[in-house]
Amino acid sequence: MNTITNKVIRLVGTARFASTNVAGNEVSQLFTNRNPRNLEKMRIGYKPDGFHVDSPGKRYWHKLELKVTGRYVTASIRHFENGEVLRASTSEWAIKKQLYKANDTSAFINLGRVLADRCLQCGLLEINCFIKPPTPDGKVAQFLKAVEDGGISLKEPPQYKPSYPWDQHRPEKPWEVVE
Amino acid sequence: MAVTLWKFCNSKLNNSVASCFNGAVRHGHHLRGKPPGVAKSLEQKLEESRYKDPSLYYRVDIGLPPPKVSRSQQLKERLQTLKAQKANPTVEKLARNKELLIDLEEVRQVSATTSAPNYIKNIADHYGVFEHLFGDAYFYPRVSLNIVYGTEDDGLPVYYGNVLKPSDAKTAPKISYNSDKDSLWTLILTNPDSHFTEKDKEYVHWFIGNIPGNNVEQGETIVQYLQPFPPKGTGYHRHIFILYKQEKKIDFTKYKQSGPCLNLPDRTFSTYDFYRELQDDLTPSGLAFFQADWDTSLKDFYHNKLQMKEPIFEYDFPPPFIRKQEWFPLRKPFNLYMDKYRDPKQINKEFLMRKMKNVHPFKEPPPPLPYPNAQYFEGYVPSWLKLEIRKSRLKWGRINDIE
Repeated sequence: MNTITNKVIRLVGTARFASTNVAGNEVSQLFTNRNPRNLEKMRIGYKPDGFHVDSPGKRYWHKLELKVTGRYVTASIRHFENGEVLRASTSEWAIKKQLYKANDTSAFINLGRVLADRCLQCGLLEINCFIKPPTPDGKVAQFLKAVEDGGISLKEPPQYKPSYPWDQHRPEKPWEVVE
Repeated sequence: MAVTLWKFCNSKLNNSVASCFNGAVRHGHHLRGKPPGVAKSLEQKLEESRYKDPSLYYRVDIGLPPPKVSRSQQLKERLQTLKAQKANPTVEKLARNKELLIDLEEVRQVSATTSAPNYIKNIADHYGVFEHLFGDAYFYPRVSLNIVYGTEDDGLPVYYGNVLKPSDAKTAPKISYNSDKDSLWTLILTNPDSHFTEKDKEYVHWFIGNIPGNNVEQGETIVQYLQPFPPKGTGYHRHIFILYKQEKKIDFTKYKQSGPCLNLPDRTFSTYDFYRELQDDLTPSGLAFFQADWDTSLKDFYHNKLQMKEPIFEYDFPPPFIRKQEWFPLRKPFNLYMDKYRDPKQINKEFLMRKMKNVHPFKEPPPPLPYPNAQYFEGYVPSWLKLEIRKSRLKWGRINDIE
């Protein structure tokens, strides 16, 4: 167990960089970016691979979850380590106030819009989604469509793994692509 | 089972029957550890290893207390609003036709006083804001900060982790928040991610103290604004605005920097130490942050403003595991095996030398062949070398390191 937890901490906590061009205003050879989301955004952070017999829904940095109860609907973003990090629910006064009913189709659509808005505010632009809508134009499908229309991509890029000299190909490094 | 059968054979049966079992010891499937339903799952074990004793590891709320509202009064008003909404036929019609689109701006404004402090605190925890600025303390941002870079009309707002480019944040943003006239505030923009020498320190990008009410322009500028400058290759840096409420007028001469302060060591800052010193007079009450990553405009900034070479970094991946070299490696292709234990720079040099043999300094290189492997090998070429040549022709493997 220790190896797995250590691996996560090393990759996320201490991002070590070797400098190539340094002079003048004193720059040390090793630079540490403490932002815990940085490596995930750069696509090199640790992403759990899961086991091959696992049910789908284990391989993600952030994933979308939807919980429907008798009266309200709650959508949340879950991180693989930190658990639930962001949520929007029709039980919140700010949303409920403007709705006619807190669990009808328009509630689902508006919840998707609010969640997408909050995700944009929080810089979570790519979120994995393992929700399979039961009907192609039902409530859940409309919710997912509203989230996508709000500017959120419901697919995460794969983790970039470094290529070794004996590997066949050298995939493009995501951080070298500017625009 | 196997053991009992063995004993049974040895004791009960006669020798002629037992002899056919002799030498045929069957090692059947043995379950190591507890069976799946009983043993702990990976998640349970991980949770156990992450467990921290709450009596030792606890966090302290250092923010403003939640506003006091009469619950019964609030409930009454809310029920009235909901009833009016239910009775409104236009809203019902829109909702039934799936055309009811609520006003997102109103949702933001209402949630700013209700649910926003909770989810902003959660997302700030997710971005490690409190951990890196205040250690074991946190706060709920009770005062909502509106920060806009650029012009008012098509400005770029700062929320709670959105990405802005350094070229968009060259000049100080416009800041507004709700406040009464008499209170005093302090606003600090700090960056815990880009310190060039000490990894536990921050750079303060902007520091305004003793702001009367919400007139940021009338505040005392302690440190002038400096744009974000995340070096190339280091990814996304958090730039965190924190608004403190002051109990009284504070003398900030200790932190004062005159002029534009382009000497970076002078901007070294630690929110933890700063807050520790002034915690009796300061209460953190507003929070907003953005992430910035490198863009092409920074080259000019490093050269002309900071008067230094532009630093470029590259992520240091952990080296691959290569097992200890053996005297007699069995079933390993000798060339691939030996290459793993050689200096990769030397191998690349050999590849380069081979390439340069056929490169003419003045003539342009011949066009690439449509079928690079449809070529005859002159004379005897061993099969391992043939394979290597074929791989190089197809641009597979180590040839990519020099191309």
